[in-house]
Amino acid sequence: MATAPKPQTDSKAITKEVLLRVEGVTKIYDGTVKAVDNVSLTVNKGEIFGLLGGSGCGKSTLLRMMAGFEKPTKGKIFLDNQDITDLPSYQRPINMMFQSYALFPHLSVWENVAFGLKRDNMPKDEIAKRVDAMLTLAQLNKYAQRKPHQLSGGQQQRVALARSLAKRPKLLLLDEPLGALDKKLRETTQLELVNIIEEVGVTCVLVTHDQEEAMTMASRIAVMSEGYFLQIGEPDVIYETPNSRQVADFIGNVNMFEGEVIVDEPDHIIVKCDECTHYVGHGFTGNKGMAVGVALRPEKIMLSKDKPKGEYNWAEGVVTEIVYFGDHTTYHLKTAAGHVIKAQEINNTRDLSCGLTWGDHAYMHWGDLAMIVLTH
Amino acid sequence: MSQASNKVFANGWMLAVYLFLYLPIVTLVVFSFNDSKLVTVWSHASTRWYSALMQDSDLLSAVFLSLKIAFLSALMSVFFGTFTAFALNRYRHFRGRTMLSSMATTPLVMPDVIVGLSLLLMLVSLQHWLGFPQRGLFTILLGHALLGTAYAAVVVTSRLKEMDGRLDEAAMDLGSKPWQVFTLVTFPLLVPALVSAFLLTFTLSFDDVVLSSFLSGPGFNTMPMVIFSRARLGLNPTINAVATVTITVVTIAVIASSFYTSHIERKRKREMALAYSDSNQ
Repeated sequence: MATAPKPQTDSKAITKEVLLRVEGVTKIYDGTVKAVDNVSLTVNKGEIFGLLGGSGCGKSTLLRMMAGFEKPTKGKIFLDNQDITDLPSYQRPINMMFQSYALFPHLSVWENVAFGLKRDNMPKDEIAKRVDAMLTLAQLNKYAQRKPHQLSGGQQQRVALARSLAKRPKLLLLDEPLGALDKKLRETTQLELVNIIEEVGVTCVLVTHDQEEAMTMASRIAVMSEGYFLQIGEPDVIYETPNSRQVADFIGNVNMFEGEVIVDEPDHIIVKCDECTHYVGHGFTGNKGMAVGVALRPEKIMLSKDKPKGEYNWAEGVVTEIVYFGDHTTYHLKTAAGHVIKAQEINNTRDLSCGLTWGDHAYMHWGDLAMIVLTH
Repeated sequence: MSQASNKVFANGWMLAVYLFLYLPIVTLVVFSFNDSKLVTVWSHASTRWYSALMQDSDLLSAVFLSLKIAFLSALMSVFFGTFTAFALNRYRHFRGRTMLSSMATTPLVMPDVIVGLSLLLMLVSLQHWLGFPQRGLFTILLGHALLGTAYAAVVVTSRLKEMDGRLDEAAMDLGSKPWQVFTLVTFPLLVPALVSAFLLTFTLSFDDVVLSSFLSGPGFNTMPMVIFSRARLGLNPTINAVATVTITVVTIAVIASSFYTSHIERKRKREMALAYSDSNQ
């Protein structure tokens, strides 16, 4: 999750120069179904931009409009300040790496990679040079003469990447690039992919439903739902400062407390909830008496058997569930109010910490900057 | 029921089915080597009916006419069937799509007699008003192509449906204009379906007797028509001989093609296994 180390995103490579600009794009299918609803965004040169959302949120439709497979019902798309909204896909300097790769089954690896270059009527020797360079980059030289079905999933994925990079596109679109790989392979491939992308320095738009994939690969993420953006920001911003209950809930695990602001000071606020009273160590743009949500990530909660001091930022409950993940354990505690709160403890010793077991009574406590106050 | 009796029953059933299907054919083949003029009475083995077949210019020219019609109509069927399948699969919205999709396959379920009769009526009135087409090779071709197009459309459609639509998009994405998408990606992947559509419509045309009878003109007798009319005048062992030759050719073709496909399939499986075994990296 968010604790996974980020691959070296070379922030120097990201300039403020805008490459892709999407302006008020709407896509309506069959006159009624709004797949994408008045979306605007900019992607800077050298950036890996993630579109994150569940299935049917419109992320793929948006990507397909960038590729030129769909026409926006409304709005414009600019690449390098050139309006490409009506340009057919075969004239756009944009290439896509397809979900499940869409490699041409009747062509060899070499011919797959050369396919796009041949369409540009590039001289033969130059094609050969470029293809060989791409195959080297993707470590595929050994497999040049194989057909796609003679390759494993990871190799097919690299062929797909090599093919989409061969034409040196201004923009690379990645549609669920790791979706077809198993978990173990995904982690190594993720880093490989980012390394290759950064080596060639291409700007990317990445579509995924996997938040981990978006977090580790993208330099900025747009969280999408029902055709519009809920929030755009850096991965850590999205995770630590979500702007709504929906984003907080979508990214990672979260405990939501619903309550009312009873003290509103410039440097702190106090929110009264059913099972506890939150002391939040910063001000907020709202006022006293307002109903707010307080989001608290499970890993920010500490567990103990002893009652914490003070009257704020703790709750008590009974352990109802213990979920062991190896590196960490998630405890589910049921409060007197009937809510279940999840607390996540890192297993930093080999004896299973806390000494808590099912049915135990325990206290949860957290710091005064651990939670996020959400007004919508 | 016990396992053993179950097995006996299953084997017996299988045997019955085989007998039902193949006994008539075996009889036909055996009796083609019968010396007797009577089709049902065995005298002794000979190849005299095969020599007779070689002399039978009516029957031989009918065979060649049938082959010619089957070949040409299969070509036409595959051509038009592919277009129909494309229109129905790749272009989701156009006027008359629903109509085309249901009409294209109607000949599959329409009795041949009705198709033949309606075509004949149309051709007769056309000839009356325009003076052409003369009934003969061309009109038989037309009828067979009409029927074959429906079959070919079904075969090609099923292949198009299972083909990944993203391949077309990938080709386009890499700079192929729509016609290049067809020639470089869709067509090569479609070849197996085109071949099987060709074989199917070829066979369909080759053994058609109903449509041909309606649409043929004087002097244009296809092989099934000749066999049919001779059978009505009394069976002649030459028919057994020509049937045996046909069966032999078909059997060899079927066995060869199934050997070929299973060989391809096995090769593919081997290669895939190889890919997974050396990919631990």
